Amino acid sequence: MPQHELILLKNMMQPGYTGSLADYERTGGYQALRKTLGKTAPADVTAAVRKSGLRGRGGAGFPTGVKWGFLPKDYQGPRYLCCNADESEPGTFKDRQLMERDPHQVLEGILLACYAIGAESAYIYIRGEMVLGSKILEHAIGEARAAGYIGKNILGTGLNVDIWVHRGAGAYICGEETALLESLEGKRGLPRIKPPFPATHGLYNKPTVVNNVETLANLPHILNRGGEWFASIGSPPKSTGTRVFCVSGHVKRPGNYEVPMGITVRELVYEHAGGMRSDKPIKAFIPGGASAPFLTPAHLDVKLDFESVAAAGSMLGSGGVTVMEEGTSMVWAALRLMEFFYHESCGKCSPCREGSSWLVQIMRRIVAKRGRMEDLETLSDLCKNIAGRTVCAFGDAEVAPIQSTLKHWREEYASLIREAEAANLVMPEAAGARRES
Amino acid sequence: MLKDKYGKEIEDILARYPVKRSALIPLLYVAQRDQGYVTEEAMTEIAGILKLTPPQVYETITFYTMFNLKPVGTFHIQVCKSLMCALVGSDTVIGWIKSKLGIGPGETTADGLFTLSAVECLAACGTAPMMQINDDYYERLTEEKVDRILADLKTAGVSQLKSGPYMWPLPVTVKGET
Amino acid sequence: MPDTTTPTVRLTIDGITVHVPKGTLVIEAARRVGVMIPHFCYHPKLKPDANCRMCLVEIEKMPKLQTACSTPAEEGMNVRTATTVVNDAHKSVLEFILANHPLDCPVCDQGGRCDLQDFSHQYTPTTSRFAETKRVFPKDYFSPLIETQMNRCVQCLRCVRYCDEVMDVKALAPTGRGTMTEIKHFGPHPLDCEFCGGCVQICPVGAITSRLSMYEYRPWMLKRVDTICGYCGDGCQITVQTKGRELIEVNSAHGAGRNNGDLCARGFFGFHAAAHPERLTHPLIRRNGVLVQATWEEALEFVADQAGKIKAAHGGQSFGGLISGRCTNEELYLFQKFMRMTIGTNDVDSSARYGHINGVQAMRRVQGTHRWTVSYDDIVAADVLLLVGTNVTETSPITGLKVKEAVKKRHAALVTLEGLEPSIESISNIANLSRHHFCVPTPLLPSAVLGLLKALIDENLVQPDLMRQQPAYVNAVTDALKRISWQDIQTATDYDAVAFAEAAKALAGGRRLVVLAGQGLLRSANGYGGSLNLLDLLLLIGKLDQPGCGFAPLAEENNDQGTIEMGAVAEFLPGPCDITSRPDRDRIASVWGGELPPNGGASLVGMLDRAGAGTMKALFVVGENPVASLPAQVRAEESLRKLDLLVCQELFLTETAALAHVVLPAASSMEKAGTFTNTEGHVQAVRQAIEPIGESRPDWEVFVALSSLIGTPLEYAESRDILKEIRSLISGYGSLGPSPMLPRVDRTTVDRYLADGYRQDLDERYRLDVQGLRPDGTVQLEMVQSLFHSGKLSTRSKGLMQVEGAGALRMNPHDAARFALKDGDRIRISNTRGEATTTVKIVNRIPRGCAWFPDHFGQTTMHLFECAIDPVTHAPSMRTTSVSVMRVA
Ligand SMILES: Cc1cc2nc3c(=O)[nH]c(=O)nc-3n(C[C@H](O)[C@H](O)[C@H](O)COP(=O)(O)O)c2cc1C
Ligand code: SF4
Ligand code: FES
Repeated sequence: MPQHELILLKNMMQPGYTGSLADYERTGGYQALRKTLGKTAPADVTAAVRKSGLRGRGGAGFPTGVKWGFLPKDYQGPRYLCCNADESEPGTFKDRQLMERDPHQVLEGILLACYAIGAESAYIYIRGEMVLGSKILEHAIGEARAAGYIGKNILGTGLNVDIWVHRGAGAYICGEETALLESLEGKRGLPRIKPPFPATHGLYNKPTVVNNVETLANLPHILNRGGEWFASIGSPPKSTGTRVFCVSGHVKRPGNYEVPMGITVRELVYEHAGGMRSDKPIKAFIPGGASAPFLTPAHLDVKLDFESVAAAGSMLGSGGVTVMEEGTSMVWAALRLMEFFYHESCGKCSPCREGSSWLVQIMRRIVAKRGRMEDLETLSDLCKNIAGRTVCAFGDAEVAPIQSTLKHWREEYASLIREAEAANLVMPEAAGARRES
Repeated sequence: MLKDKYGKEIEDILARYPVKRSALIPLLYVAQRDQGYVTEEAMTEIAGILKLTPPQVYETITFYTMFNLKPVGTFHIQVCKSLMCALVGSDTVIGWIKSKLGIGPGETTADGLFTLSAVECLAACGTAPMMQINDDYYERLTEEKVDRILADLKTAGVSQLKSGPYMWPLPVTVKGET
Repeated sequence: MPDTTTPTVRLTIDGITVHVPKGTLVIEAARRVGVMIPHFCYHPKLKPDANCRMCLVEIEKMPKLQTACSTPAEEGMNVRTATTVVNDAHKSVLEFILANHPLDCPVCDQGGRCDLQDFSHQYTPTTSRFAETKRVFPKDYFSPLIETQMNRCVQCLRCVRYCDEVMDVKALAPTGRGTMTEIKHFGPHPLDCEFCGGCVQICPVGAITSRLSMYEYRPWMLKRVDTICGYCGDGCQITVQTKGRELIEVNSAHGAGRNNGDLCARGFFGFHAAAHPERLTHPLIRRNGVLVQATWEEALEFVADQAGKIKAAHGGQSFGGLISGRCTNEELYLFQKFMRMTIGTNDVDSSARYGHINGVQAMRRVQGTHRWTVSYDDIVAADVLLLVGTNVTETSPITGLKVKEAVKKRHAALVTLEGLEPSIESISNIANLSRHHFCVPTPLLPSAVLGLLKALIDENLVQPDLMRQQPAYVNAVTDALKRISWQDIQTATDYDAVAFAEAAKALAGGRRLVVLAGQGLLRSANGYGGSLNLLDLLLLIGKLDQPGCGFAPLAEENNDQGTIEMGAVAEFLPGPCDITSRPDRDRIASVWGGELPPNGGASLVGMLDRAGAGTMKALFVVGENPVASLPAQVRAEESLRKLDLLVCQELFLTETAALAHVVLPAASSMEKAGTFTNTEGHVQAVRQAIEPIGESRPDWEVFVALSSLIGTPLEYAESRDILKEIRSLISGYGSLGPSPMLPRVDRTTVDRYLADGYRQDLDERYRLDVQGLRPDGTVQLEMVQSLFHSGKLSTRSKGLMQVEGAGALRMNPHDAARFALKDGDRIRISNTRGEATTTVKIVNRIPRGCAWFPDHFGQTTMHLFECAIDPVTHAPSMRTTSVSVMRVA
């Protein structure tokens, strides 16, 4: 059971904690804001965050303080902060908990980030399906506004920040930061070409920072206790602090576990998540959401930090750890994810758009035992031809499940195809490529 | 006209954004709340409010899955079918609903009460299998729970089994506290 | 052109070094050294979107392949476009693009000129690895003129981006997402837009095609001719494609002509007018009161015979000639020479009289030019633009695109005095892009101009030098404006001193200011005075003679400008030279080898008056239709009926031709060669695309034939010979290179104007026209130009008639509500002069209290208008009146 100190989930783990402003203040909430606003120079806030080593929790893991530093120094017009609460990566459900259980922690983080970058407006882009989350946030914003934390002349410092909740409407791609901005501008959520980056040309073409909910929720703690404190947690120097890992799949106790970065999957599954549900051995796991390549039991002792997971051939991504027990079909699992990516490709880039429809059809055929041996070649070729050739990282993500399962479990594909060949059912039946509604 | 019915709300929404078009999705939600789906008249009216052409509204609305352009059942059941839920039985959940209501994904019951959809991940993988019905999440589904939810909705229009603020796993309760 | 001080960078592409301006995209830099990087979504007119991923290249020091279409060239860059990696990438992207493509080339109209076909040929094996089910879009009806075949779409969004970025119409919606992304309009509705054809032209594959020519041809069967569109003064270059004698399609290549390949509905879909079944194919002679078919010999001899008799009896002075601004320069020139030399009359006029003359006379008086001193390039490069009464989208669509480019791409400040309500509709509205918009009904435009002038004075924006050098002029203007109160200006225009001050500051603050005046001003009773006042405005702020600055009155008909330069109006000889100028008369007379008739011929309305009074006996009318174009009050029909000889050269049997004694079938501009001079003063070559229909002949051939029969032969073998003669009178005239030769402001003329040239009419021009209030319960009816038509000619085009097939009274929703009218209701409009029935079309861009009727269908309403004649320019104005409106069953 957890030996370490909880940071983000600490409050909500207290019995009776409701996440109200009163509860939050009682546990020291908004102290960081009080200490910082007008007292620490914004540049020093950024410096503290840089020192903490905090890296983005949204997926890419970019150092937060460095990102803030990209904003133009002398730009006079408005700047924006967007809180990325789109949380749509399959296997990820931590931001939802942070927002619904301790909304003020997120708001305080947003206010601190706004202060650091000089933004007077922040938008929380929350995925459309999370109606409850958006209501809880709206309510919390109302409380904070009434208490003088949000709005004009915050805490008498003369600073103004408004925070608005903006609901998405069902599109995974809107978690990608430039697609998020397009969506927030009322358009189709198509990622933009970069450069220019949001730091200079973001929302309404103005300097903008996009940060994940969990990233922002860390800020009050960093400012309360200092960058060094944060930098000492986890797996310094590159992976500091804790991560809220979202454990799902065939474990006994799925759910969110906040642990210092650098613990192993084995520890996470067996010590925190209660082990496997039917005590079967682990067959495969995804360490960082649907976009992260599958790993095998050989990787159970890989440390869950950015570098170690990358070295193992996957990525830490959004912290969604999905565990599959022995007996699960990897081809089927890859197909399920491929169907997700096919459904969610925005359609901008030809390789991603056409490739996803092609891949999903081949995978469906193989699973339906209508595959052919040459499909394997085609699959890996198509994956290779999509990755790295698209506007956004979705293209890399969508090929991860197939590429990694082909790599580790090629035999499963082959045996499904052999069955097909044995049954002499090699002609594809017109299954239709139409999107399901 | 939405403007007559929701004038204040629309103004509040517009006030949040320095560029009008940003209010598009929020206004489409207002329209969908009003009729259960977004009508052509509503799209035209919203285009007028935001100084967009109707095709601009249309291109946006069709990109997102949460807007209905046609009426759907009073209760829109959306079962997550992504991998994480599928690992622990979401296909079975769809099966249950199919056998109980007689509708498959994409279909609506004859009485117009229920529409069933299979959808992609809804950020509740730790409490799978799950489904969303209208605005509410229902998680850690079992057959018995699904029965009760459907019955509640049919009779009362609401079900107490819907999720509250999310937290999973729940903290271990210390003795003496609730 | 704008100054080019942009720094350059040096890069190498496949080993070749190239210097390009900083900011140039790699794909363009490559093009410069002859390296063609394959692409679909890139188009030089559009912002890069980099969605097709076809243009991937290797750039040294960059880890991944980069899209050449979106990467700006940087100093020292080393680009490789043909390595194995790059070739593999091209192959694989193409494989993806072809995966869901139906490969239906045999039945695709794009076949043979399709980027996808070309690149596939270059990159892919003949067999596809894609053995899955292709996505199929259900076939949707799209529009009467445009066909979509979405299965062929490569989702490059060029059409959508063009419709938004260039046209500002935003009629195309990419719907859905992923592979199911489909280009639609709005829900189940058929496309409703400007029908500029831009999406058809810019689609790299066969997904969007023209229905006018569907399945009729294969591109390689077509003959192509580059010529100039005959519809409006913008003078777009078009490529007419024909199969045998048939007109198949019109388009315009990117980079071509002053329009840079952009067209409007008239140019793109209007080409069938020439091929209308009602075209006159034989000469007609009136015998026993009816027009009967005759041979050319009979008809010409009949005319020559009658003309000879009348000339012998009443002299050349009893003749008049009227010609359309749609004719070529060669024809206009020859016509006036024919009238002046062969017949011996100076009663010559043309359609330039309706308004273009006002702008030209104002320019001549103030700046000593008869042409613009600016060009389209200056519009694009302007930092401030003032539009007065242009409704530019509908009247001069391509000029409109230049304005849009200046505003949307280059962020020019736009000031508009337009009878337009900003509104989002299916066609673009220039008022939407305006920074200082004054929604002023057309009759009040001159008052709004005065408001601007007064604000310039109030805000001390008069150029100090001018104040010092010409105090009398400045004081006279200042005094005149002081007599007008802001109160009155506000009452008239609805805008206050503050609004005008803001706009005046914007105008004075710009470095490059172009003032565009359109029909709303030029064709009004104040067309001439208003133009002078706009020139005053430029003078006062010291911009009249500055580079990139100038006054640009917009010509309505394709060759209005040529009409004046060829001297096809009573007051000018070719040049144009004042007919009163002794040296010019002598020079021209010596070239022509004869005597010129005396000065002071009658203009359009004057001629009709003379005919009515019986002092004019014979009239030659070429392509004009005064019976239908002038208000009843002018009594055109009654007067024409009194003539002993009325000869009409026409494409169709118009209302006027129906009264003629002889009707001669004329060839349209598709069927002959010559030149047109566009609104910028650019002379461009007109080339023959098809054989003349029936027995029709180019107008100039008729003048040649008649002149010799009448006994004063004017001999030319081809139209080029006429141009040669024109050149001997106007040096350098003719098509010269891709852009116009601009005249400079003539300093002597300006000085003369400033010294005392302004005096004669200053007080009248600087008087607020306090119009009598429109009676309650009426609307201000205006005769306007529609985007989908040009004159009456376009009403013979099957394509355009599908978009707008009848005249309807367009009115604002508030007024419609006031009269309890719904879209499509039948109504009666009436005033003291008469009544007419039509239908209602509710349109948001029309200001309250106004109603528009397209003049192409004007016959129905013409008699409701009154006609006023400008005392100086003799331009008739008759475009506004007030009417009451009533619904009828
Ligand atoms: C396809 C795609 C989907 C993404 N979805 C999310 C998401 O749902 N939530 C999120 O915070 N970041 C998401 N990201 C990452 C964002 O682009 C961005 O990196 C992040 O919001 C930055 O915040 P951070 O630096 O705090 O992590 C996604 C990225 C991609 C390419
Ligand atoms: S990679 Fe896919 S999701 Fe990303 S922009 Fe391109 S098409 Fe859209
Ligand atoms: S031309 Fe570069 S991505 Fe399409």
